[in-house]
Amino acid sequence: MIRLVHVEKAYGHGAARTFVLRRVDLEVRAGEFVSIMGPSGAGKSTLLHVLGMLDGDFTGEYHFLDQAVHAMRPKERADLNRKHVGFVFQSYHLIDDLTVYENLEVPLQYRNVARKERQALVADTLDRFGIVAKKDLYPSQLSGGQQQLVGVARAVIGKPHLILADEPTGNLHSDQGREIMELFRRLNDAGTTIVQVTHSEQNATYGHRIVRLRDGWVERAAPAATAASAPAAGAAAAGPSPSGGSAAAETH
Amino acid sequence: MGDLVQDLRYGLRLLLRNPGFALAAIVSLALGIGANTAIFSVVNTVLLRPLPYPDVDRVMMVWDSNPSRGWDQFAVSPGNYVDWEARQTAFEALVALRTRSLVLTGHDEPERLSGLLATAQFFDLTGTPPVLGRAFTAHDFEAGAEHVVVLTDALWKRRFGGRQDILGSPLTLGDEAYTVIGVLPPQSSLPTGAELLAPLVLTADERQHHGAHYLLAMGRLKSGMTTAAATSAMRDLARQIEAEHKDSNTGWTVRLVPIYEAVVGGIRPALLVLALAVGVVLLIACANVANLLLARAATRRGEIAVRAALGAGRGRLIRQLLTESLLLSLCGGAFGLLLGTWAVDLIKTLQPGTLPRAQSLAVDGRVLLFTLGVSIVTGLLFGAAPGVLLSRASLQGTLQQVGRGVRGRLSQRMRGLLVAAQVAMSLVLLVAAGLQIRSLARLLTVDPGFDPANVLTFKIALPDRRYPDDARQAAFYERALADLKTLPGVVSAAAVTSVPISDDDLIFSFTVEGRPPAPPEEERSANWYAVSPDYFGTLRIPLVRGRLFTDADAAATPRVALINETMARRIFPGQDPLGQRLRMGVDGQVVREIVGVVGDVRHYGLDQPVTMQMYEPCAQRPWSAMTLLLRVAARPDTLAPAARRAVLAIDPGQPVSEVRTLQAILDLSTAQRRFTLVLLALFALVALLLASVGLYGVVAYSVTQRTHEIGVRMALGAQRGEILALVLWQGMGMTLWGVLAGLVGATALARVMSGLLFGVSARDPLTFAATVVILTCVALGATYVPARRATRVEPTSALRYE
Amino acid sequence: MSQTATESLIRLDGVTKVFYTDEVETHALSNIKLEVRKGEYLAIAGPSGCGKSTLLSLLGLLDAPTSGSYQLDGKPVAGLTPADRARIRNREIGFIFQSFNLIGDLSVIENVELPLTYRGMKPAERRKRAQEALERVGMGHRAKHLPSQLSGGQQQRVAVARAVAGRPLILLADEPTGNLDSKSGEAVMDLLRELHRDGATLCMVTHDPRYARHADRSVHLFDGRVVDEVSAAAGSDH
Repeated sequence: MIRLVHVEKAYGHGAARTFVLRRVDLEVRAGEFVSIMGPSGAGKSTLLHVLGMLDGDFTGEYHFLDQAVHAMRPKERADLNRKHVGFVFQSYHLIDDLTVYENLEVPLQYRNVARKERQALVADTLDRFGIVAKKDLYPSQLSGGQQQLVGVARAVIGKPHLILADEPTGNLHSDQGREIMELFRRLNDAGTTIVQVTHSEQNATYGHRIVRLRDGWVERAAPAATAASAPAAGAAAAGPSPSGGSAAAETH
Repeated sequence: MGDLVQDLRYGLRLLLRNPGFALAAIVSLALGIGANTAIFSVVNTVLLRPLPYPDVDRVMMVWDSNPSRGWDQFAVSPGNYVDWEARQTAFEALVALRTRSLVLTGHDEPERLSGLLATAQFFDLTGTPPVLGRAFTAHDFEAGAEHVVVLTDALWKRRFGGRQDILGSPLTLGDEAYTVIGVLPPQSSLPTGAELLAPLVLTADERQHHGAHYLLAMGRLKSGMTTAAATSAMRDLARQIEAEHKDSNTGWTVRLVPIYEAVVGGIRPALLVLALAVGVVLLIACANVANLLLARAATRRGEIAVRAALGAGRGRLIRQLLTESLLLSLCGGAFGLLLGTWAVDLIKTLQPGTLPRAQSLAVDGRVLLFTLGVSIVTGLLFGAAPGVLLSRASLQGTLQQVGRGVRGRLSQRMRGLLVAAQVAMSLVLLVAAGLQIRSLARLLTVDPGFDPANVLTFKIALPDRRYPDDARQAAFYERALADLKTLPGVVSAAAVTSVPISDDDLIFSFTVEGRPPAPPEEERSANWYAVSPDYFGTLRIPLVRGRLFTDADAAATPRVALINETMARRIFPGQDPLGQRLRMGVDGQVVREIVGVVGDVRHYGLDQPVTMQMYEPCAQRPWSAMTLLLRVAARPDTLAPAARRAVLAIDPGQPVSEVRTLQAILDLSTAQRRFTLVLLALFALVALLLASVGLYGVVAYSVTQRTHEIGVRMALGAQRGEILALVLWQGMGMTLWGVLAGLVGATALARVMSGLLFGVSARDPLTFAATVVILTCVALGATYVPARRATRVEPTSALRYE
Repeated sequence: MSQTATESLIRLDGVTKVFYTDEVETHALSNIKLEVRKGEYLAIAGPSGCGKSTLLSLLGLLDAPTSGSYQLDGKPVAGLTPADRARIRNREIGFIFQSFNLIGDLSVIENVELPLTYRGMKPAERRKRAQEALERVGMGHRAKHLPSQLSGGQQQRVAVARAVAGRPLILLADEPTGNLDSKSGEAVMDLLRELHRDGATLCMVTHDPRYARHADRSVHLFDGRVVDEVSAAAGSDH
């Protein structure tokens, strides 16, 4: 579904030029659930924006469903995004001045879904996520967990093939986070491809495999099972970072 | 379509959820658009809407003119007019006019009506013949013909109930019988505001007379004739006449003034300044809205980025933002229209009667269109910029703050610039208003030369038929003054040929006995008054030397005269004027001895220079039309009915007119200035208000933007006072730049304003200093509120990251 | 440098912090007991949202606890006026932030001078002190630059200079490497360790266990509670 070949991205200019992504090669197959991990500033969010076709300012190749995204004009990229991608953000990014119902409606409006159908889809989704009672509330009237639930609902309402999640549980208490991850697992089981950025090894275990980023480089793609159990000594050896020796992944 | 409704609903909700923002933006726009609507209505009515003549640009006022004596536009002598009529080539119609007030009797109480006498081509000139009845025919102008009269629509409806059978009915006007032959159409009006029109027949004597100037002349240019060509042709003609009548016409030429110019020329500078002022107010308002939108754009960057991530295209986003800003500006426009309509009513009641055609002042289709246009243009202009800025930002896929710092600072700087511009513009307006206030204050301290308090004035004009000679006229006024003096509350009563501070004047040339006759071009002339002995006491005009007139100065005693100080100084420098003898006016053979010198009176208004003035006793030189003056103990206006009855008791066919207090006459002379001042001051205040809202908005926004920085400073140990000073300095910095730019602007404004000022320099340091102080204080106030808020920032915000 | 002294610089006892927002009550910190001794290097670790930053803002007198006691250098801080708290922040505490928090409109040296300015120090002296601090972090040659002309690592070194220029009792660092690539992060950590070796008391919040091991001791927070405390003498590499 997704194939990145030597994707690079840099900010700034001249001497102050800093690379955010370095020669990233990545493949995600349809139906996969991939976690991207790495320290802050490693380029995780940037990679997610490139995948989501929000950011077209990179070099290298990006093939999405066998279409060459890197060769597209911004408008075509936006169309592709609209058709196939749903986003979930760490800080939810619900629109403050819209009710829950209206927030769910927004992506459908931009997809030119007819009014009748829109109503049906929103009602259906509210039902599926168990938030019918909240439909007339504004985001500020919800708890963080509830807001993220709406955030996920908004991401899936357009029936995207791919969900991109940027630290979806970062602002949540641990049990709320668990609920969201369970939700992702169910969505994935139902066939949606998911790529999430996370800091939490625990959340990463919900996925099939982990892609580690450090200073813009992809360190290694490891199956989730091994990543959770084995310390990443091997990963450090494989990584290009000079200071990789201290990259033990223990949490306690 | 559904999307549009959705956008509108969302825009509306945003406005409702940020009532402060919505209120600030809509009030700003409403004030700006309202002020413009009001002034545009005035400009539209006064300057743009055509006068009620077809091809109005071809209609001219034609004046005698004597530049060397400072008379640019002077009444026309009948001799000159007759010569023009016979020989001119420039006009297809040329008309002489003479105002004549006529007393209508036989219907209820006698009423003085303002009439106009016109020569034969009048309806060719105006192009609007009567709708009812007929125009004048050649027969009407023959000597001894039956007197005929045409009524205006207003008079017809007011006095005769709009009766169709008015045609042919007799009318007694000034004791003479007239027949009504026509009624003018409703929309047309007569020059000088007259209500009646009658034929002007010049006597054979008059037709020879080149020295006495008392006619108005108007002409319609032949088509294709330019004003310049016509002026040149008429001046050639004037030179011929000058050569033929050296004694009366030396130094005289002709001046042509387009009627449009004549009607609106006086008001135009004031209107231009006002139009400029409201333009500036609108600019300030727009700067406010732009500021608000820019500030909001920054806070909405997150929302827009989310929408883009959810698949909104760029065009879609711009459309949404434009819908919002148009919604805002149309709301502002609607309230502005309301405000404007209200302001037009205010102007209508406020205007002193010097605003031409003020009664037809209204918000018409053109004004509506103007307001709508202004609203849409402001909405597009100030909504599009932040819209494009935002939508572009969204496409760079920035859900994080990458690059935000730089752009944030840029738009912050832009907002600072806008505010500085606002401050500068309000400074300019404040200076303009300040200069007007100072001018008026100066004007009001000018001594008119008499005491206007507690004096009632009214006019009486005796008809020739019943008062054919001097003796009967003198007797009437003698009796009237004696009777009026006995009225309770009257302290003294007097009569004068033309009351000070008015358009009425009589100017006579004079010569000093014993001096060689001056050549015609150096002929001296002065304001001339015939007065009753109590005139000086009643107006409290001081005697400087010699004596005043007494009852002993009668028709049979030696002729005497008084002159004012200015005339004494100019004509008799270093000499004693007492005992000198003058010849003056038409009866140049008679010699008057100067028996006294009195104080100067400002005849033409407080802002006009003092002219030379000479007085004669009305007993020795009776005059048929006089103004009576009653000095009373208190409340002169309450005496009007008693005075009217006293005059009617002497002659039941003799109405009084123009009953006014002297104070009212004096006030009227400064009313135009007050009117301009009130409006200008109002606009300056609105500008100041808007600018302070703008300053407040920018500083308040910058405080929220800088919350993090302020938090950092507090974490580093800044005390609250230091944070307060930091924000105050930011606001005062913008103010300072605005003040500097404003001072430059105000100095430039001086050139436009100087014509409207009196007794104060257009760079008056006091006005400038006071304005700067006021502005700075207001700016400090506007900055203080958000600065206080900055001191309440939580230091923990240093640790928060978006 | 041997630390036999048990003189306690910071002592928290039973500290709780509750936030109230729109009917929701969040216990950010529950019953925290914590002590930092003079010359110690303490790391506060834990996942995001565990209360680390809240704890740091309490320690830094940026915020006050809902309940519990806090003694700084033997004196209770409860009941101090905002002005007194500002004075203590200015003189006794040096902050190092995750996103550097240099003020963009001020030059590097002006940024370092800022806390000294708030102390009312004379311009010549504060310029000298600031320059010294910059030399110490190896940024003396960039004094006249604006923060935007520096890389992230350099900015953080300037921020460290700003924190130490006032010679505070304690340095509080909030994820000082959070916005840096690993190489620059290492350099900043080395700098902090150097300061510690020269006698500074350091308290650092991080969610990166690698960096926590630089400290003498690390405290782990989870959902607002201290769940673990590790004396990492063995982990330190000297």
